[in-house]
Amino acid sequence: MPVTLRLKEPPPVPLEAETLTTDATALLSHADIRALPVNLGKRQRRLDDFFDVDGERSDEIEIHGDATRVKWIGRGMTRGRIVVRGNAGMHLGSAMKGGAIVVDGDVSDWLGAEMTGGSIHVHGNAGGQAGAAYRGSLSGMRDGTIVIDGGAGLEVGMRMKRGLIVVRGPVRDFAGLEMKGGTIVLAGGAELRTGAWMVRGTIISLMSIQLLPTFSYACTYNPTFLNLYAKQLASLGCHLPLDDHEGGYQRYTGDTCVPGKGELLIWKPRA
Amino acid sequence: MTRNGVTIVDTFAEAFDMRAARVVITAASPKWARTAAECMTGFATSVIGCKVEAGIETDVSPEDTPDGRPGVSVLLFGFDAKGLSDRLLDRIGQTVLTCATTACFDGLPDAPERAAAGGLLRHFGDRFQSSKFLDGRRYWRIPVMDGEFLVQETFGIQKAIGGGNFLILASDQASALTAAEAAVDAMRAVRGVVLPFPGGIVRAGSKVGARRYKKMIASTNDAYCPTLRGRSDAMSALPDGVNAVLEIVVDGLDRGAIERALAAGIHAACRAGVIEITAGNYGGKLGKHHFHLHARLA
Amino acid sequence: MLRISGGKVYDPANGIDGVVKDICIAGGKIVPDVNAPGSPEPRSGEGGRTIDATGMVVFPGGVDVHTHVAGGALNFARGLVPENHRAARKFLHTPERRAGLGGMTPTTFATGYLYAGMGWTTVNEAAVPILSARHTHEELHDIPLVDKTTLVLMANNEIVMDLLEAGETERARDVVAWLIWAAKAYGVKAVNPGGVAAWKWGKNANALFQPVEGYQQVTPARIISSLASIADDLKLPHPMHLHCNNLGLPGNFTTTIETMNVIDGHRAHLAHLQFHAYGGDDWSSMRSESARVAEAFNAHKHLTTDAGAVLFGDAVTITADGPWQHLLHQLTGRKWGNLDVENETGCGIVPYVYKDRNLVNAVQWAVGLELLLLIDDPWRIFLTTDHPNGACFWRYPEIIQLLTDTEFRKAQVKQLPAKAQQRVVLADLDREYTMSEIAIITSAGPARSLGLSQKGHLGPGADADVTIYHEKPDDGRLFTYPRYVIKSGEIVVEDGDVRATTAGREFVVHPTCDNAIEEYLRQIFPKIYTMSFDNYPVEIERLRHAQIQPCQ
Repeated sequence: MPVTLRLKEPPPVPLEAETLTTDATALLSHADIRALPVNLGKRQRRLDDFFDVDGERSDEIEIHGDATRVKWIGRGMTRGRIVVRGNAGMHLGSAMKGGAIVVDGDVSDWLGAEMTGGSIHVHGNAGGQAGAAYRGSLSGMRDGTIVIDGGAGLEVGMRMKRGLIVVRGPVRDFAGLEMKGGTIVLAGGAELRTGAWMVRGTIISLMSIQLLPTFSYACTYNPTFLNLYAKQLASLGCHLPLDDHEGGYQRYTGDTCVPGKGELLIWKPRA
Repeated sequence: MTRNGVTIVDTFAEAFDMRAARVVITAASPKWARTAAECMTGFATSVIGCKVEAGIETDVSPEDTPDGRPGVSVLLFGFDAKGLSDRLLDRIGQTVLTCATTACFDGLPDAPERAAAGGLLRHFGDRFQSSKFLDGRRYWRIPVMDGEFLVQETFGIQKAIGGGNFLILASDQASALTAAEAAVDAMRAVRGVVLPFPGGIVRAGSKVGARRYKKMIASTNDAYCPTLRGRSDAMSALPDGVNAVLEIVVDGLDRGAIERALAAGIHAACRAGVIEITAGNYGGKLGKHHFHLHARLA
Repeated sequence: MLRISGGKVYDPANGIDGVVKDICIAGGKIVPDVNAPGSPEPRSGEGGRTIDATGMVVFPGGVDVHTHVAGGALNFARGLVPENHRAARKFLHTPERRAGLGGMTPTTFATGYLYAGMGWTTVNEAAVPILSARHTHEELHDIPLVDKTTLVLMANNEIVMDLLEAGETERARDVVAWLIWAAKAYGVKAVNPGGVAAWKWGKNANALFQPVEGYQQVTPARIISSLASIADDLKLPHPMHLHCNNLGLPGNFTTTIETMNVIDGHRAHLAHLQFHAYGGDDWSSMRSESARVAEAFNAHKHLTTDAGAVLFGDAVTITADGPWQHLLHQLTGRKWGNLDVENETGCGIVPYVYKDRNLVNAVQWAVGLELLLLIDDPWRIFLTTDHPNGACFWRYPEIIQLLTDTEFRKAQVKQLPAKAQQRVVLADLDREYTMSEIAIITSAGPARSLGLSQKGHLGPGADADVTIYHEKPDDGRLFTYPRYVIKSGEIVVEDGDVRATTAGREFVVHPTCDNAIEEYLRQIFPKIYTMSFDNYPVEIERLRHAQIQPCQ
């Protein structure tokens, strides 16, 4: 039986809800969950000032309502499952270590920033800096999986170090900016400067995208390692083309201005 | 005990502690996966002369391989983890890496002891290699002329058993061979075992040491050589009517696999032309795994 | 009146070495104990609190002779490391306390809470450019609880260097005097003499006797001896405070010893000596030469120094030594910030981490401790980490533990990489610091070196800056959590909690100079500075509780 939270009404200013994690609800009684401290702006309040709460002592949480202004849900969680039947706010799953988060609606910026494990699946759109490093940090997500069925904003996977991000819709500028490792799959295209300052890692685009002049073409082929990812991605609802008869991936290495040893793999269907 | 008119001697096969690894080779087609596997398991009949014993375990269908391509699984056996590790490096490097379209994966994911064969092979990439980390495992991508050679970084090594055996004593060479071939077909259907000798069959079974040459490690098993029956300077173990003997040697990942293989093999070998089935041992003094023939057929 | 009763007092400046006696405080000062035998009649109206200090040790408040806590360079560093702020200790505001961030570059209020929380009551901000001195004073204004002094950067000042080039030593002295008062500073700081000026050309000054880029006569040696002499002529309470040339480079111990010879005859304070005591020819052969440096230092009796010790862990290097910071950036690939201060100096910032498996870092760790153990007079070497360059100041208790527990120290040495152990002598050193010696290197010695006669001791007339520790704390780590900290007679920290927030004072000096120098400067200023001359000096009102210390 999950702990169910119904948002009474969207808060007027952002609600800082980093206490809202499965690690907390797994151990707490109903009364203690209701009393979890959250910050509305700079004032400390109780969780039940904003949510109707049902259930206790479960590492499954279900959130109902438009939580666009509720920030830091699932921060640092290590287990269990959070389902948001609606939208969620910034920093969802930031620094999470394990467990799963599913969102029916949209999410804001910094989804899964600096996460080290676990999985996030957003059915709607995401904002910018998904799986990214916070300002100044040397790397972003270290492990784990983020799947976004809609589109995403700027700097997806910025400075990433490992892990997997899949975006089915279009992304905006600077996907994979400065990335040091990891894999990003872009199924819906991208705007400008994809892979800028890339050091290592892989960006796969299933559509033709505009490339920086500092990426050099190598060859067109079907890399074997993609078969490993294809299996995992199929279970997440994303199809990676692999058939020689259907086409091949154009491989570009870069970003030469670093100099980086990253790769861009752009799918080119056979004419 | 007899089975199908064949006498089953009440004796046991004596087998040894070994270490094993399983390698899954995939390729663009079953033909090329098998080509690599056959090359990899060549010259691997006995640890004594070949430093490793190896054989093809089974074909693996695309649904079951890590990369969804046709595959073959190979088992390798050695006396110790370090030696086996070195052999993995040699053999994957010289026969799988070099074979068109292949990739190479570990088949013992739960084995805690790991050999770094893939990790060491990456140097062939001369710093042009890269790696991917997926589900807690690292895979190396080594640039080669037909694209990339994908190899898992580590290969599991586990305790295993080598030297399970039985001998087919037949009335003539052709009958011995037919029976042995039938045994090999039946045993190859068992998972977790390989038959390292040519075609799975040993025609030149050996004994420890030598009678007349002091430095030899092994020499012909004269007790079972038909042309030496009756000599005053040899002790024959051959019953009347036996004119040819062939041996089946089997290595396996665990006792259960060897038991199943021996049972299937002996059963298939009990046919016309075969007089007796027996097994080789050293009085139980050298190997700690004993496989009693009667228990196999009970 | 406040009485501290029954504590074991360490007051080395007054020859008191662990004697159980009372300390009496009134009017912000230590006063004679009216209850002691032979003392004058008790004052009327004596009341007030008594602290029962049984089982505790009583120290004069700590004095940090070299740290970087305020001003343009530090603030630039704060901007460069947002990731550190996320991980830093948070100070939420309370009725007694302002909000702030700890970490390696603490914000202003937090700096005061952290220092006082450790039992330190006076800090010397060691590097202030005159051009941005106003900024430094404004930040110091917001650092509560501790008293402050500042040192103003002079060794790459182009007005001074031009005068030295022309041989106009008298005028140079007057300019220095004028600049000190303009900056409302306490003393003279020299960083990589000539090197930071050369950095404006992308160069450095590695040779003491070679002219600096753009000059024929001015060499680093010339700058050093001139500034030392000027500081003595001006009778500044603290001598020239010198960050030697070739900081951080393998083999730089020769530069350090040569520098001591150049200074010969004058007072000087050598900053963070650890960074200047390396042998070897390159990074792979780098080793400790602390023994040779200590030997030379022991012989040059007019010098003082501070350790500048390194501890393993994260740090942020902040220094005016621009060329060294650029090199560090190239060696490590870490992000790098560089600021130029027109005509005067510059600064470089590189976040860094000292790793115990790194051969160079292991040697550095050992060298700081070796110097503290090999320099025989504790009145001449003081405990610092060049915060935040070597380690953060609140880790001083870790160094104290390494000095006072030889067994522990030797065990730590054994954990270093084997190669590193062969490059240092620390394993062979058995000396163990006494409590009295700790009181000297953390308080009495630096106070004396800074010329703050009212600090660093607990005799009558001293400022009532007192730190009281449990003699045997639960976690075995003495000095980490004072039981009480008293500042100017008020209990400001009790049991690790800041109880009262007072504002510290800022000490400044007003050295005598020929007033005509102002006219000289007014003439040349518009030709070389982008700031108008009238805006240049800092108004005394900018300082909080400024107190002028005499030059005599």
